[in-house]
Amino acid sequence: MKIGKKWLATLALTVGVGLMVSACGSGGQQASGGGSGSGAGAGDKVFVVGTDAAYPPFEKMEGDKITGFDIEVVQAVADAAGFKIEVKNTGWDPLFDGLDKGNVDLGISAVTITEERKQKYDFSDSYFDANQLILLPEDSPVTKLAELKGKKIGVQSATTGEQVVKKAFGDTYEGLKGYDDTPSAVDDFFIGRVDAVVADNAVLQDYAKKVKDKKFKLVKDDTFEVEHYGIIVKKGNTELLNKINQGLKTIKENGKLKEINDKYFGQ
Amino acid sequence: MGLNWGVISQYQELFIRGVQNTILLTTVAVVCGTILGLFIGLGKMSDRVYFKVPAAIYVELFRGTPLFLQILLIHTAVIPGIWGLFFPEAKVPEAIFSGFVSLTLNAAAYIAEIFRAGIQSIDPGQMEAARSLGMTKGMGMRLIVIPQAFMRMLPALGNEFIALLKDSSLLAIISTPELGYAAFSVAKNTFERYPPYLTAGAIYLVLTLFLSRVVVRGLEKRYSPK
Repeated sequence: MKIGKKWLATLALTVGVGLMVSACGSGGQQASGGGSGSGAGAGDKVFVVGTDAAYPPFEKMEGDKITGFDIEVVQAVADAAGFKIEVKNTGWDPLFDGLDKGNVDLGISAVTITEERKQKYDFSDSYFDANQLILLPEDSPVTKLAELKGKKIGVQSATTGEQVVKKAFGDTYEGLKGYDDTPSAVDDFFIGRVDAVVADNAVLQDYAKKVKDKKFKLVKDDTFEVEHYGIIVKKGNTELLNKINQGLKTIKENGKLKEINDKYFGQ
Repeated sequence: MGLNWGVISQYQELFIRGVQNTILLTTVAVVCGTILGLFIGLGKMSDRVYFKVPAAIYVELFRGTPLFLQILLIHTAVIPGIWGLFFPEAKVPEAIFSGFVSLTLNAAAYIAEIFRAGIQSIDPGQMEAARSLGMTKGMGMRLIVIPQAFMRMLPALGNEFIALLKDSSLLAIISTPELGYAAFSVAKNTFERYPPYLTAGAIYLVLTLFLSRVVVRGLEKRYSPK
């Protein structure tokens, strides 16, 4: 049955390709379905919040729910300013991409306000101050980042930690190892793949709580500037930005922000 | 739409290092994978169950699961595990080592099949002739069958080389400093999308074209059975 076989193969191929195309089609639609503001009344518009839910304690996945400091802050801001939000785990890169394309309205993902980023996006006022810490072996004599020259340093790609190391040792420093998330960098530090990790204090301290049995120390380099986290919107979206800033102002004044802060970072 | 191609020159070193590592990783994986693949291929054709079964399982496992997962498993679990057991004092080797290991193991499975097909395509009369000259089975394999099979395998091996070169970009996920990682890292840090990815794509294209034109054709011309 030669013909039969050929025919079957063709059928299978057609069905396969058809499925793939339709899957792509629906996938594409799903991606662009959210929040590309149609002319609906502003009252019932739900703003899409993008985040990269792999940065505990700021944002993380608990089962299928996105939780964390940032998520509570953005919810409080929205409540205070009186708009509805829907939080989506977009991932870091697609978050910025989504802002550009308009299928994400605002982003909160422990984004540090930097001059470079300000050129492309608009930031709200700051809602959190962070500084970078260096994770080192317990017996390390190092007190400043500069002393780590020539050593392998783990960072989370595209974070301020990475920028700090680049500023110290150059954009293409060979010892710089960019990871997709901070815990991976920390894990590799503990098995000796990197000599140090530079990351946000809150993240490192949070992770350090989990690995109490390991030996390490966290060093603060005084040359690192304090950073400010901001909520990010598409450049020129002043209407939404004003709402966010108004909400932020409210929760700063009524103590809600401090309450969330204490819940996560209180001693 | 303004594209900032300046980021490429700003991070040029990253791309250069990336290309070097991509070529190095692929070449080592092909060489080691060929040696390993020969043994696994022979194992699969062996009459002895204790060679045949493990070899068959190996090939199925590595061909039947995504390379992406193999890389993650080997890098984050297998290698640290082995080091923890056998060299607890030593530092676990870096991502590039995991890259060598995972690409080699993966390539070996595919190359094993290429070897098997190549050897089975040689007329059984060749082996019979070798045996009738008084050679042992092993000698016949080594001196008569495998050399001829190798010629026939060259196109398929060339294809595997090219596939591996492209697949090595998956190592970006474990921060192996290869070309894919360079593009990934620059895109993440500069918020520029087109320039880094298109640059990396163009470099991969040049590499694969070079491989398919020069290396594979050259080898085939030189060693083809005709």
